[in-house]
Amino acid sequence: MSSPPLIGGGDDDEGFDWEAAVREIDVACENAKPSSSSFHHSRPSSVLDLDAENRRPAAGGAWNSEVASNYSSSSSLVNNGRRTGNCRQMTLDSFVGKAAAVRQVKKWVVEDVEGSAGSMGEVREGGFSCVEIDAEAAKTWVYPVNVPLREYQLAITRTALFSNTLVALPTGLGKTLIAAVVMYNYFRWFPEGKIVFAAPSRPLVLQQIEACHNIVGIPQEWTIDMTGQINPTKRTDFWKTKRVFFVTPQVLEKDIQAGTCLVRNLVCLVIDEAHRAMGNYAYCVAVRELMAVPVELRILALSATPGSKQQTVQQIIDNLQISTLEYRDENDPDVIPYVHNRKIELIAVPMGKDALDINKLLLDVIRPYVSRLSAVGLLQNRDCQTLSPPDLLNSRDKFRRAPPQDLPQNKFGEIEAYFGGLLTLYHIKRLLSSHGIRPAYEMLKEKLEQGSFARLMSRNEDIKKMKLLMERNLTHGAPSPKLSKMLEVLIDHFKSKESQNSRVIIFSNFRGSVRDIMNSLASISDLVKATEFIGQSSGKALKGQSQKVQQAVLQKFRAGGYNVIVATSIGEEGLDIMEVDLVVCFDANVSPLRMIQRMGRTGRKHDGRVVVLACEGSEMKGYTRKLANSRTITKHMHNGGTSSFSFHSSSRMIPHIFKPEVQFVEMSIEQYIPRGKKVKDATDIQTPIFTKKLTAAESAVVAKYFQPCPWRPSLIAFPSFQAFPSRVHQVMHSHRTGMLIDTMQNLQALSFPLDSRGFSFEDEAASGKCQGTESPNRDDNDEEDLGVGYGTPEHNSQSNSRDSEGPISQKLTTKNLSVLDLTGESHSTHAFLFGSDFVSVDSLGKVLISYVPSLPLKLVSYPRCPDNEAVPLNCAKRSPSHLKTLVEGSSGPTVLQNFCTHLHSLSEDPCKRNISVDGLKLSESAILVGDMVNGGDSVGDSFVDFGINSPCPSADECCHSREDTELSPRLTNMMQNGVVPESPTNDHDLLNDKERAEIITPMKLHTRLLTVSPGPWRNESNAAAVIGEADMADPSIIDQIQTPLRETSAAKVDKIVYSISPAPKASNSSKDWPFSPADDKSDSVKPVRRLKRLRKVGDLEKNKNPGSIKDAPSFHEANPNVCVNGAHRNQPKQGKGKREQFGIIQDFIEEEAEVSENGEVSEDERVDEDDNSYDQSFIDDRINPTAGSAETQPSRVDMMAVYRRSLLSQSPMVRESPSASFTPDCNSSCSSGKNNTTGSSSTNTLHSLRTPLHENQEGLQPSPAVPCTAASNIPTENSTMLEMRKRRKLTFHQPAASVPIINLEEEFSKQLEADPNPSNNIDDPDTHEDMLYDDQFFAALDALEAQATTTQQNRPNLSVQKQDTMLPNSELHGTPTFDLGI
Amino acid sequence: MDEQNIDPGLIHEIFKHVWTRTALEREKNERNEAPTDADLVIVGGAGTSKKNRPTSANSNALKLSAELIRIFISEAVQRAAAIAEAEGETKIEATHFERILPQLLLDF
Repeated sequence: MSSPPLIGGGDDDEGFDWEAAVREIDVACENAKPSSSSFHHSRPSSVLDLDAENRRPAAGGAWNSEVASNYSSSSSLVNNGRRTGNCRQMTLDSFVGKAAAVRQVKKWVVEDVEGSAGSMGEVREGGFSCVEIDAEAAKTWVYPVNVPLREYQLAITRTALFSNTLVALPTGLGKTLIAAVVMYNYFRWFPEGKIVFAAPSRPLVLQQIEACHNIVGIPQEWTIDMTGQINPTKRTDFWKTKRVFFVTPQVLEKDIQAGTCLVRNLVCLVIDEAHRAMGNYAYCVAVRELMAVPVELRILALSATPGSKQQTVQQIIDNLQISTLEYRDENDPDVIPYVHNRKIELIAVPMGKDALDINKLLLDVIRPYVSRLSAVGLLQNRDCQTLSPPDLLNSRDKFRRAPPQDLPQNKFGEIEAYFGGLLTLYHIKRLLSSHGIRPAYEMLKEKLEQGSFARLMSRNEDIKKMKLLMERNLTHGAPSPKLSKMLEVLIDHFKSKESQNSRVIIFSNFRGSVRDIMNSLASISDLVKATEFIGQSSGKALKGQSQKVQQAVLQKFRAGGYNVIVATSIGEEGLDIMEVDLVVCFDANVSPLRMIQRMGRTGRKHDGRVVVLACEGSEMKGYTRKLANSRTITKHMHNGGTSSFSFHSSSRMIPHIFKPEVQFVEMSIEQYIPRGKKVKDATDIQTPIFTKKLTAAESAVVAKYFQPCPWRPSLIAFPSFQAFPSRVHQVMHSHRTGMLIDTMQNLQALSFPLDSRGFSFEDEAASGKCQGTESPNRDDNDEEDLGVGYGTPEHNSQSNSRDSEGPISQKLTTKNLSVLDLTGESHSTHAFLFGSDFVSVDSLGKVLISYVPSLPLKLVSYPRCPDNEAVPLNCAKRSPSHLKTLVEGSSGPTVLQNFCTHLHSLSEDPCKRNISVDGLKLSESAILVGDMVNGGDSVGDSFVDFGINSPCPSADECCHSREDTELSPRLTNMMQNGVVPESPTNDHDLLNDKERAEIITPMKLHTRLLTVSPGPWRNESNAAAVIGEADMADPSIIDQIQTPLRETSAAKVDKIVYSISPAPKASNSSKDWPFSPADDKSDSVKPVRRLKRLRKVGDLEKNKNPGSIKDAPSFHEANPNVCVNGAHRNQPKQGKGKREQFGIIQDFIEEEAEVSENGEVSEDERVDEDDNSYDQSFIDDRINPTAGSAETQPSRVDMMAVYRRSLLSQSPMVRESPSASFTPDCNSSCSSGKNNTTGSSSTNTLHSLRTPLHENQEGLQPSPAVPCTAASNIPTENSTMLEMRKRRKLTFHQPAASVPIINLEEEFSKQLEADPNPSNNIDDPDTHEDMLYDDQFFAALDALEAQATTTQQNRPNLSVQKQDTMLPNSELHGTPTFDLGI
Repeated sequence: MDEQNIDPGLIHEIFKHVWTRTALEREKNERNEAPTDADLVIVGGAGTSKKNRPTSANSNALKLSAELIRIFISEAVQRAAAIAEAEGETKIEATHFERILPQLLLDF
């Protein structure tokens, strides 16, 4: 700061000097000649400060603070450190340092200090442009090594990065790579900078953008190609949003002039085919405009042929502000390795005889005019042979400028005419020599038609002669020697190589000759597929080619559609007309510049050959002369042309502080995506994005399925399939699907035969579904058990059981499946199943036990409800024998016992059974079996002795006793129930219970064990049901227990069902998920069947209602469950309630048992009844144990319905069960007497409410049901059954109606009690269910199938059963009444 | 149960594909109605006006969509497979798919 005063007086010129100085410094630095800078540099660094100081006031405060601070910082730098050093160097360093400082502060974007800015400001701005530099990126410059490195390219690039460079490289040596690398580095260095690549034609632009992309991979979102085809407003947009522009010079020029090009952000301008930058070509205008702004930017000019003369090259250098010339030719050592051998043949073609004659005539014509002109002194050269059009032009110009003094004015016109005539003649001569007679003739003919030439020559004899000669020659003369020579060359070429893979370009200067060539090529069309490639302008004779056509031609040429292109000069430049093997220059007398371009079409990637056809004579001479010219210019350009040309300074662009190191990078370049057109962009780009990430094989696959595939799936193709629920995987059927199925069934008027066979398919599916539904139930049960907390051990056991059961179940299922055929086989299968079950139970003891425990637990819950608790304890004592959870187990057993007792109450065997079971210490499974057996036993007790049950044969009495002792109320209820069971209702209940239990168990099993666990249970249940049925028919199957049951037939079955049912009930009461789900499932299933059957009957509405009703929180299914539960509750609670419960249970059982029962009795009837009852209200079922029993017979149908429902509901069931399970649980809990949820209460209420209705309905229903059943299967039996049912119903209904209310109250209390348990249970089930969905489904399916088979098997028994049932019914009638009385 | 999830990004791409297509169609319709605005609309591209702003979805929505689509697809395949199996075939054909399609669609 101290120095300023010294030079403080620096005038304004200082700034100007500085600008130049700085540039020179930059140049000097590049050349590693730091000291070469001239005078101004000697100033101490302080000068800078001085200037800055001075400027500031001059700027009138326009200097923005940034600049000021920059200066101050620079000054301080200078002052602090550099003063002592070499002055010059100091200056530089300080300058650089300042720049560095500024940059590091990232203040690079110095505001334009327009107007106010002194020269310093301009320098600064210019030097660093207005564009921010990425300091990090500027530490290196990137050179791609995707393609093999070439030293000369690297060297040129290094130069071009830091100074304005004219690169003169022969074609095919990679100018584009240099340009791309430079652009890419500027792209990196200047994150905000704009880069422009200008190429003289649109095809070139498109070609270069792709080439650049493929070299350095500048992201395509930053690049844009802009030609005159894009309207200016759009271009304005692009200028703002894009960073790399590939433009035509005209666009650049116009946009700069229009101000839409953000010139201040320009950092790099690449000019392709720079030899065009002459005169007022757009290149020059654009650069001038940029320099005037002023903008500092890097200019890189590319050309293969900067010029043929030293002057032209200098002009280019001037026009483009070039600082450095980088020239290489094929002979430079660093280039030679990359230059392919390009053989240039000059073929001198003698002119044809005709042509010679014509030429002679022409000369004859010319000679007098030349002599006349030379006489006047206007032509120096008297040799008309060597005169050329340019000479004439020059002379004419001279004449026009300074006409000879002695020439009279009136002669001027004559002389002008001479000149014009001579020009035309010489032109014709040239055409004649280089292109043949035809072009010359056409020219002549055209000229003779009008104009001065015609006036001058029309009467010339020689002209006429010449014209005649030409005509003669054209009509039947030999072709032009050049053409024939060319054909020779082509034929040789294509014969030596495979013509397919060889490409040839023939260059001709005139379109006329192009057509000639095309015509002559037609003669060898077998070898040559030729096309013309000409410019756009349309002349008189020939129409031009639009760019579209040109592109198409090139495309086809690349693809091999053409192998020869006959091109005018348009094909010479830049266009990357792929690799060409042979170039034929049809005319030799062209500028060396164009000759080089022509030759550049070949020898790029491999050896090429150039044939130059030259006529002997003038053309030959011209060619040699021009070759010599080009040699001289190359001499000028060697060594950077420093000696021959004067260069302009240019800024370094990158501050000296940055010394970018070369960094070789393997670029990962995305495939170039040609820019689509406007609106098409969206689709065009989307598909590539889509396919880009796929391999070829993948996209082929995709294409196979998506492109040509007009296939549209039909929704109506298989209406028959829509009448049945399809199998589901994870997603259960929705309600809407159910509606669809119902509707379809309606529309198709499907009649479902009562026979299992008719349903076989559906049944199987349904059974499968039922099983699936069951599985959840089991899980629920298990979970419930767990939830209860009783049976942690139970869980274990259960899990074990599941594991162990798995195979068994599978076996069973398989067996069941095989059994599908029905009756006899089914029985056997059932037997097998049973046997297997037993076996499984034995072996799997735990498993079975687990099941049993669950049931017991449930039972326990029941007992717990009100009075039973005490009893349960007792039972528990017994239960311990079961092994599992002591408490729970005990409770479970007690429950079981209770159930048994209940069952026993019916049959009175349960206690005995339990005892027996305990005594047997069979595994829980055994217990379950035992329970089942007990149930059966109970039934059988009355009839026959069961091995297990035997202890308590007289079930009723025992039960009563036990009930009295243990659960007096319940026992009483049980007794009542038992009584009922004895009656058909009881049987039904039992059956229902069994079925339910079965279902439940399977559910549990399914859920937990998936397929495995469910299997056994199912089997068991099925077996039980089957047994029940089978018992009816085949006592043998059920072994000891079963046999008796069978004997007891319906009664036994019922009992068994009861035993099972209690368990489910218990589970329900305990809020067992399984139960509720099971119930739900059964309910849901039932509704479906009901619907179907109802439809048949006309009860559709009812069916629908039930299905849809299921009002309670729980799903449709849940509701029924609840109802059932409620019924169950009722039963245990009250004697009446018991009955009701039983009824409910029965309903459930019926539903479940319906399958089996249906088999026994006319399924349809029962179904209808059941459906009605279900639909209407659970209460009905409850109330109508008899009806239930009656229904039990139809239950088979119900089973079908259940299956169907299960199928339908599987999805909902399974999933819902977990979530819904809560509600169901609640309901169940309510039923159990642990009224947890409102749902339960509501259900109860509903039940109560419904009961009457149901009764009514039931009463009504039976009649319709009867016909159906009768129609379907066993009319007589059905009718009888119906009658029986009616009776029962009637009887039951009345009592039930009365009972329900009471029950409800009790139930509520029970539910309340039960509440805690359910919650626990709920959680577990959900998880289990979730885990096991699939398996459950399958298992369920299997189980369902098994059940279906069993039911089918049972059917045969139906008659027997019916009879049996008939008997029981009668009994029931009696019993119910008794119950009521009780 | 299936560990493999559909990449939400893919779903997003598909969504965008649909969105842009519908947007383009809408644009075209609008342009037909008001041809004078056509150029402006083109220049502005999608999204300049509120009406044309591209639809978007947040990541959670995309995840859920992906899951839904996964379930849908797996369900469709499984059901079709069940049909195919029932027919004793080892390959799922279009007809199998057609059979389960109506109910499948109603279930979702």
